[in-house]
Amino acid sequence: MITVGIDMGAKNIKVVVARNGESIGHSLLLLETDLDRFASARKALGAALDKAGIGEEEVNTVVATGAGKKVVTFAKKEFTVMGCNAKGIIRIYPSVRVVIDVGAEEARCIRLDETGRVVEFAVNEKCAAGAGAFLEAMARAMEVSIEEFARLSLTSTRTIPINAQCAIFAESEVVSLVHGETSQADISKAVHDAMAARVGAMSQRVTTEKDVALIGGVAKSIGFVESLKAVLKEDFLIPQEPEYVTAFGAALLGMEEEEASKEV
Amino acid sequence: MVVAIVTRKNVFLKGPIMFNKFKEFYEKRHDYAKDWKKRTGGKVVGYICTYTPEEILYAAGVLPVRILGGHQPQSAGISEPYLFGMYCPFCRDCLAQGLQGKYEYLDGIVIAQSCIHIRQTFFTWRQRIPHEFDYYIPMPINVVQPQSSLPFLRKELEIFKGALENWIGKPISDEDLRRGIEIVNRDRQFMKQVYDLRKRKDPGLTGLEAMYMVVSSQVTDKREHADSIGKLLKSGLSQRELGREASIRLMTVGSENDDVEFVKMVEETLGATIVIEDHCTGSRYFWDEVELMDKDPLTAIAERYIGRIPCPTRDWSPNRKRFQKIIEFIEDFGVQGVILVQQKFCDPHEIDIPALRDVLNKIGIKNYSLEFDITVPVGQFRIRVEAFLETFEAEELF
Amino acid sequence: MKEYPTEGLKCWGKAKELRDKYYRDYITAKEKGGIRWTGNAPSFDAIPYGLGDDVYHLTSEPYGASVGFNKDFARRCHEAVEARGYARDLCAYMRNYWGSILLDEFVFGGRFPKPDFMWALHICCSHAKWYQEASRLEGGVPYFAMDWSAGMYYKWEKEKQDYVVDPDQKHRVQYLVDQMQEGIEWLQKVTGRKYDDQKLIQAAKNYFESTSLWGEICSLNKAIPAPMDEKMMYSLYVFSALHKSHREVVDFYKELRDEIKDRVARGIAAIPNERARIMTDIQPPWGFLEIYRFMENYGVVSVGSFYTFMLIGTFEIAEDGTLKARTTPMQKGAEMKKREDALKLMADWSLGSFMNQIFYDHRFKSHIMKKIYRQWMCQGIIMHFNRGCEGLTLGVAENKLALVEAGIPVAYYEGNMGDDREFELAAVKEQITAFMESLGLIK
Repeated sequence: MITVGIDMGAKNIKVVVARNGESIGHSLLLLETDLDRFASARKALGAALDKAGIGEEEVNTVVATGAGKKVVTFAKKEFTVMGCNAKGIIRIYPSVRVVIDVGAEEARCIRLDETGRVVEFAVNEKCAAGAGAFLEAMARAMEVSIEEFARLSLTSTRTIPINAQCAIFAESEVVSLVHGETSQADISKAVHDAMAARVGAMSQRVTTEKDVALIGGVAKSIGFVESLKAVLKEDFLIPQEPEYVTAFGAALLGMEEEEASKEV
Repeated sequence: MVVAIVTRKNVFLKGPIMFNKFKEFYEKRHDYAKDWKKRTGGKVVGYICTYTPEEILYAAGVLPVRILGGHQPQSAGISEPYLFGMYCPFCRDCLAQGLQGKYEYLDGIVIAQSCIHIRQTFFTWRQRIPHEFDYYIPMPINVVQPQSSLPFLRKELEIFKGALENWIGKPISDEDLRRGIEIVNRDRQFMKQVYDLRKRKDPGLTGLEAMYMVVSSQVTDKREHADSIGKLLKSGLSQRELGREASIRLMTVGSENDDVEFVKMVEETLGATIVIEDHCTGSRYFWDEVELMDKDPLTAIAERYIGRIPCPTRDWSPNRKRFQKIIEFIEDFGVQGVILVQQKFCDPHEIDIPALRDVLNKIGIKNYSLEFDITVPVGQFRIRVEAFLETFEAEELF
Repeated sequence: MKEYPTEGLKCWGKAKELRDKYYRDYITAKEKGGIRWTGNAPSFDAIPYGLGDDVYHLTSEPYGASVGFNKDFARRCHEAVEARGYARDLCAYMRNYWGSILLDEFVFGGRFPKPDFMWALHICCSHAKWYQEASRLEGGVPYFAMDWSAGMYYKWEKEKQDYVVDPDQKHRVQYLVDQMQEGIEWLQKVTGRKYDDQKLIQAAKNYFESTSLWGEICSLNKAIPAPMDEKMMYSLYVFSALHKSHREVVDFYKELRDEIKDRVARGIAAIPNERARIMTDIQPPWGFLEIYRFMENYGVVSVGSFYTFMLIGTFEIAEDGTLKARTTPMQKGAEMKKREDALKLMADWSLGSFMNQIFYDHRFKSHIMKKIYRQWMCQGIIMHFNRGCEGLTLGVAENKLALVEAGIPVAYYEGNMGDDREFELAAVKEQITAFMESLGLIK
């Protein structure tokens, strides 16, 4: 059975094509301003199918998730991001019971059971907001790429405290630091530390249970990962392509859904 | 840097040495309390809001110390699971200190029906950081109908005294209470004497130094604290000069404020001088004394807490008692401008701010409001305060 | 899929009529020389009734909620208030009320009716100051606030593992009574009217009866299927918040109780597809009550909350730990002959309100919420981290932890009861859906 999961994120679209629950192709498309979301979704789907080497007619079902899922009118069903995260991560790491997902706009923490069912979850609150978009804005303020920004963080040897709760306050402080004499490395670490503190605090609203995994686009930032390790004080797993876990989970849920409807 | 110009009169004067003792009390407050316990064998009780009747704690032979924040950003995350996001930075920071074990030497914790945010800190604290003794004194919030609130408070203070007696295992006599009153009053009187100096053209001490003095009163044995002030006064404090132009004479108004970095920036970097303040880490803490006379001590104590300059939570009268005091201070201390130090999310103060600004504008006192968190962006604040101060200079030119 | 029979509430017409009358009376109060006052819902509204039969009032929190329900009006209120320099994180109801004064517009139409006086019972940090500022914005309307904060009425009894009434209430009651006496003197001065104690006594009786009746009505929702859903209950509980000391509310609640009893007897459901029951905790986001209908699509009905049951409704804990409507002083045989009798009983009644206790110990609310969860047969709890109310969110994070620790499935969303800028419908729907998935209610 071929199922496709489309994760319509705030910043980009992730698509995973799965055959019998194994990923055979995926794509990521940055949302462009001159292409509407529906067309973008179609384009991303096309790219993933190409990678998988199959045609759309071979697909049994397409399902959607993410902030913009409603736009994917050709999806048979939609699922919550929490549900997809849980389903996706348990497939990759069966021992995971808590997954932290840090995307462009939102961060969330989900506790799941051994079947991949969501048991409990938390979402970052307004007064502790800030996810990938915040990191990018800070990188832009320093005029470096996001990867360079993360790399710089690892070279810092100082801890500069900046506001770890309010992204607005933090941004204010970073601007001061940038105009001051603080090194780029130290500023970068401060920003990653602050974000990790916020994500860490949010995940404390969920009962902790081992193993813990980190997914989402921001999981690729080595700067953030190091800072989060220091906050959580325990190891966590990061899948190879962390930004696709949600879409993968959607594809898996789509497969379950198809199988269930066949039994009826 | 200390510039000591050695003349007969001014040997200490141009330098921070005089207030170093208070700075040390404040910075090393945990060590102080632990040491006090060792020295005296006594118990230490933490409180968070200044409505706690310290007189009764002194009468019991217990050392009351105010729980303060640590001004480190990670505090926010530590308190997070137990607090609602919309609660003020102070309560968040205080709880974080407790959760990190900074106050493990406390034998007890008490609050006197503070604002809601501090109550939350207390509730979580007593549940998750257990001490031998914890107590919630239902200090009346209605202080504008003292006919009703006084008898109630007197009764509650009696019950509190009973609980203390149970805990320490011995009775607290009227004599003990009078002694407790005397200890706290004496410290208040000394602080007022120092404050009097700030009314002069050269205030002789900075707002930061005054802050150290007052906040250290909250974290030390007031007998030692008052002695230290006594020594200070005797060693020629009244002849001390600021060592620079006082420049713009400022008043800060707000809730709890021990943000040293901010005050330093305003005074040392920008050269203004904070000559008086209305904070519960400032004048509002000690200004009113217990008027014992020949009253029953608990009644006298109750009267003091009902009648003191109120925290906005309790300032219910139409023309606000606290505002009257602020206006009085502005006159007496020659204040030119007011900075409102607003703790983010603090409802009672926030409700007062538009009314306060109206009053200040009416009497021609320029004012500026800043929102504070556990840490503040000093760089950004500097730009704003500098611009605020420049509006004075522009006027002086004309 | 099981389908229960449903019927519309017969009382709806009456409810609408009552509500319209309430606001009309307030608006037109001055036309016939009557008295008009404003205050908060828990205030002792029985007391001003001693001034005459033409005394009308507006309780400000329901007004704030009504504004919250009207998103456009609310937005204009917020803008007006923020332009005046008030912080955004202040109580949403309060900002909606002040906004109406600044705009000089009443959400129900016409200009904002200026009250003759303001009469409040101080609960959270904002209440007394709400009127302090409102008075100032109105040009100096006289106001009187009483303090509720006399300490906890209940104490934890270890052997019972439950709360019992603290026998030592005398000085607490006295504190309230003293303030009430001062208040009555003040009312006479401000209105120039002589006080009628018999009218007070009658109003006090209504207060006890109406609030206890609401407790009875809520208790009927233990039935499966639930005869009421929470969204419906908001429109019914509101009378206890509007004028709990009025005969009309007693009569209406009696009628409502009888109708709900009948619904239970006949198995009439609020929603035909009831598959699961949840409860909530505090105020809902008034501008987004559609989230209840959203849940109902999946057969999930909210059967009530600590707030809907106990903000004004009164309960007691029976010997066996059951939550039941509080026994009124009249049912206990207490007599009210003179002013002080009524004041004492009202003080005691008010101090014993479950909502009052949250201000002294969050464990009380957690404990009661667990009882509601079990006794009203729920499968989950959805909490509202309400950025618009610091009072009712006191303890909210600890409540959540306690409930999760007790093995109860809990979801929470962030929002604001009266300021829709702080509520994201799509995100909250997603969270609610995820919660229902986790409960196995959605396949």
